[in-house]
Amino acid sequence: MNKKSPQELLPLTPPVFHILLALTDEERHGYGIMQDVARQTDGTLQLGPGTLYGCLKRMLAAGLVEESEERPDPELDDERRRYYRMTALGKRVVRAEAQRLAGAVVAAKSKLIGGLL
Amino acid sequence: MTQANVIGAFCRFYSVLLYAYPAGFRREFGGAMRQVFRDRCREVARSAGALRVARFAAQVAADFAVSSAREHLAAFWTAARKPVFRGPITEWAVTLGIYLFVTTTLVQAYVIPTGSMEGTLKVGDHMLVDRVAFSTPGSLGRHILPYRELKHGDIVAFLYPEDPRQTYVKRVIGLPGDRIHLESGQVVRNGIRLQEPYTQHIGAAPDAYRDNFPLPPSPYTTPRGRDMLEQHVHDGELVVPPDCLFMLGDNRENSADSRYWGFVPRDYVVGKPLLVYWSYDAPTEDLQEWTFTHVVDVAAHFFSKTRWERTFLVPRSQAAGESR
Repeated sequence: MNKKSPQELLPLTPPVFHILLALTDEERHGYGIMQDVARQTDGTLQLGPGTLYGCLKRMLAAGLVEESEERPDPELDDERRRYYRMTALGKRVVRAEAQRLAGAVVAAKSKLIGGLL
Repeated sequence: MTQANVIGAFCRFYSVLLYAYPAGFRREFGGAMRQVFRDRCREVARSAGALRVARFAAQVAADFAVSSAREHLAAFWTAARKPVFRGPITEWAVTLGIYLFVTTTLVQAYVIPTGSMEGTLKVGDHMLVDRVAFSTPGSLGRHILPYRELKHGDIVAFLYPEDPRQTYVKRVIGLPGDRIHLESGQVVRNGIRLQEPYTQHIGAAPDAYRDNFPLPPSPYTTPRGRDMLEQHVHDGELVVPPDCLFMLGDNRENSADSRYWGFVPRDYVVGKPLLVYWSYDAPTEDLQEWTFTHVVDVAAHFFSKTRWERTFLVPRSQAAGESR
């Protein structure tokens, strides 16, 4: 379907990267994404509703995520929620971003090894 | 209030905030954002702790400010790329256009900085000035709001002739052709002694120039005032020339007015004070511009220092009684 190269979309902003990570194992609704991102980052990245849905809007437009069907979350209440899941392109992009970050960490270590680390 | 009530109130407040987002974005995601906000509220309430609540509030505020600005920008660019400019641009342009028209033609906000009209208007009265009421022929606003000629006793906002960047508010005492002098603080106009119920006489030390005007200039008379005394005093009376007004403050003993700086040209009239929309007890220097200390003062004392009884007060023109 989408022949766009993942490289064109890099680097990702931290919220987009962590939202994609949150969606790698399962589809989630907005609040679920927010909680998972907070877990991933030890609470240092607490997305607000505006940032979260602003990112989702752009990610939908770029084809990184898609909407799943609306349904209630059995653990919260019986209100219907909109679920999101990652697309194949999203999966390739998050993988590419993780590789790019790993490269950046290697570069940082070789610079800092004599100094701080 | 129970916790559920508090959360309910927060959610309603957040629903209002959502209107700051572009309409398209709000329609698409507003409901979901409200849902997420409520879930977060519950989460924070479960963990309690004043610090967590404060941090949550700060996060929400920051998120709101940044993301609403960002979505507006995005909406703006999307609209700008379309061949026909529509949506947000037109919306903003129309709002801006209405704002500019209203503020340049119809009304103007103004705050009373000094006590020269004390008794009628207090220091810290924030008012709207109707710019059409006394407008001259040809003014656009005349088609929208009523207007009339100036008459004795009108309260008028005008540009201070010595420094037109400042706006003053005083009362019309002399119209073109009037002969005016003061006797012991009482105005005598065209040979008739005025009974002015709106004036306030606070026991200041007698001052011959102020109370028995016109006399040879006092040290406080400005060059404009001196010109007036030289050219327009005939037989001990001041004669108001065409297209000029002689203005006095109601706080007669504590008012720097036409006695000191001369006539007000008709063109300098801004309008008619319409109503006091907010009266706040603050010193003169705080009212001239919004300083940091003034902002803090208003934030801390808004309810106690606002003079609620003056809210929406309408200052009225009042004719003076006459006695021989």
